[in-house]
Amino acid sequence: MLSLNSDTLERLNAAVPASVASRRREALREYGRLDMPSPKEENWKYVTLGFDLDAMTIPAAPGDTLPEGDFLSALSHRAGSAVMVDGRLTGIENHSEAWLGSAAEAWGAYPPSDLLTPDTDKFAAAALAFSSDGISLRIPRNRAVEAPFVIDVQSTLPDTVTFPSLDIRAEENSEATVVVLLRSPDEVASVMVPNLQTTVGSGARLSVTTVGIMGNEGVTIMHHRSRIGRDATFRAGEIGLGGRLARIDLRTTLEGAGGSVEVVGLYFGEMEQVLDYRLVVNHVGRSTSSDVFLKGAVEDQAQSVFTGLLRIEEGAVGTSAFETNRNLVLSDGAKANSVPNLEILCNDIICGHGSSVGPLETEPMYYLMSRGLSRQRAERVLVRGFFEEAIGRLPVDDLDEPARQAVNRRFAEAQEGGRV
Amino acid sequence: MGVALKVRGLQASVGSVKILNGIDLDVPFGEMHALMGPNGSGKSTLCHVLCGHPDFTAEGEAWVDGREVLGLEADERARLGLVQAFQSPVAVPGVDLAELMREAAEERGIDPEEADRRIAEASRRFDMAPFLERSINDDLSGGEKKRSEIFQISVLSPKAALLDETDSGLDIDMVRKVASAVEEMRGPGMGVLMITHHSRILSYVEPDRVHVMMGGRIVTSGGPGLAQELERDGYEGLRKRLGIKTPSAAAPARPSSDFFTDLPFEV
Repeated sequence: MLSLNSDTLERLNAAVPASVASRRREALREYGRLDMPSPKEENWKYVTLGFDLDAMTIPAAPGDTLPEGDFLSALSHRAGSAVMVDGRLTGIENHSEAWLGSAAEAWGAYPPSDLLTPDTDKFAAAALAFSSDGISLRIPRNRAVEAPFVIDVQSTLPDTVTFPSLDIRAEENSEATVVVLLRSPDEVASVMVPNLQTTVGSGARLSVTTVGIMGNEGVTIMHHRSRIGRDATFRAGEIGLGGRLARIDLRTTLEGAGGSVEVVGLYFGEMEQVLDYRLVVNHVGRSTSSDVFLKGAVEDQAQSVFTGLLRIEEGAVGTSAFETNRNLVLSDGAKANSVPNLEILCNDIICGHGSSVGPLETEPMYYLMSRGLSRQRAERVLVRGFFEEAIGRLPVDDLDEPARQAVNRRFAEAQEGGRV
Repeated sequence: MGVALKVRGLQASVGSVKILNGIDLDVPFGEMHALMGPNGSGKSTLCHVLCGHPDFTAEGEAWVDGREVLGLEADERARLGLVQAFQSPVAVPGVDLAELMREAAEERGIDPEEADRRIAEASRRFDMAPFLERSINDDLSGGEKKRSEIFQISVLSPKAALLDETDSGLDIDMVRKVASAVEEMRGPGMGVLMITHHSRILSYVEPDRVHVMMGGRIVTSGGPGLAQELERDGYEGLRKRLGIKTPSAAAPARPSSDFFTDLPFEV
């Protein structure tokens, strides 16, 4: 077990290029300087971490690989896959023309992405300093890979922290689909701090869907940074179901003219879960477009947070930016926080946002019941319908059915248990 | 023959506004009754109160095939055989029409194959195939919504069907189809109460009785000739004949916000 200190860092640095080593040392300095985030900070409001990073250790060796599960088995048709267990790359399979391998191996050919900066927060600094391994995926220019790449990131050992680094680059005019699963078994209190960086080159089309299915004691603090080139299309999908605390801090920058990003997905929190989404879409290039569309539900004492900032920089004329966040609150003790925001520094743009938080609506309930559906059945049908719109927009069709089943099962179980 | 729908002394209010002032009505099995009346006279409210809309408080009695329904939840009334075709049905995004019909059938213990057979048959009759897999009432024109409603009545084949202005907003071909469906449904197993503004549909399907509502009451009932009288003389003429004063514009005949038209569905 390795503590988060300079000894560990130098041990990790022994096998990496000098440029990477020096960036790690800089990240370690930031790590020492920054405090653990507190709910008093706006960007961490509503979030109680309940652990201290300094007290946690990095596993020295990976534990046993987890069984497959519904989401993975639905992804039978793959272009390639990579498995990371407890911060170590344990398996790679690739049937495509893309380059898929360990981050360390990739550094020999090109430097790691630097979209995430260590001053972001203590977790970002730790991820940049202590990442023991990672996965690098590069889609060569003008190549389209049809089947999805599946990256299965697991955390299996209690009281550990891991910093998986995922570096995805779609080169000019390439096309690819990626699914990233974040998993841990129930009752294992572990912390995973993934650093996901996506670069979408000019004219490229890339989708990355994250599936958060950690066990009930697991924590994920993910940073997702993306940079989108000229006329490129990026779709970020999200299925958020697991974890005691699951946070995604997503920042996407539309750099080149004509680029577009879509952030779509769903989340459903139960018991004491906290699902925390912090989104920033930054429009820099001209005629760029964005569409954020997230639907979520909370039951029991679960809490969700959505803060979404659409920032339109000076010079980003012709921007179109939209943001929608809809929340169902299914139990009295549950809470959904939804804060859409706009920061507009230029004219000649189209911008809109919508947000809602509330229980199931009474008129549709009455309508379904007037057809003879019992109240419970009508509720199930409405919850299913609520998520259906988000499921229909997920970038990977193979994930529709397991996502649908998971949310329907979650609500049905709460009904059976009299929790909603 | 028994009575599909029997109503006695039905009063209803929403908040402090009284809308129904004592309704008595009998729709025997095998009959179709038309309910007419000026805007705001309480016709739609009667449907909603009978079907158990949670916004209303009701007093009085109502039976469907001899079973008391007031006081029951909306779904229990529907399963006892009381179903309405809504005038302005709410959109239910993400839930498609076929799915709703299958759920409704399953709740009633109807075999899934039988449910699919009924859905297919009703879908053919009302040209609903393009709408079966689409969200209920979402992005539908007024006429398409009416078709969807009568389609659902046809699938659910209730004992007492309340058709709330199902004929308005339909083109003439569809009015004929609705009329012929009502004609076919008017068998020994169903009684139909059809609310309509137009006597147009009544030229395709002859009502057994016509009732006229004003100010939350049925002020007169008669044979098909009553609809023709209304067509000729209007409600004003009928008021004169019955010696009813024209209500002043300020009279609160209905709640200030008409929550049955264009209900927003935002979740």
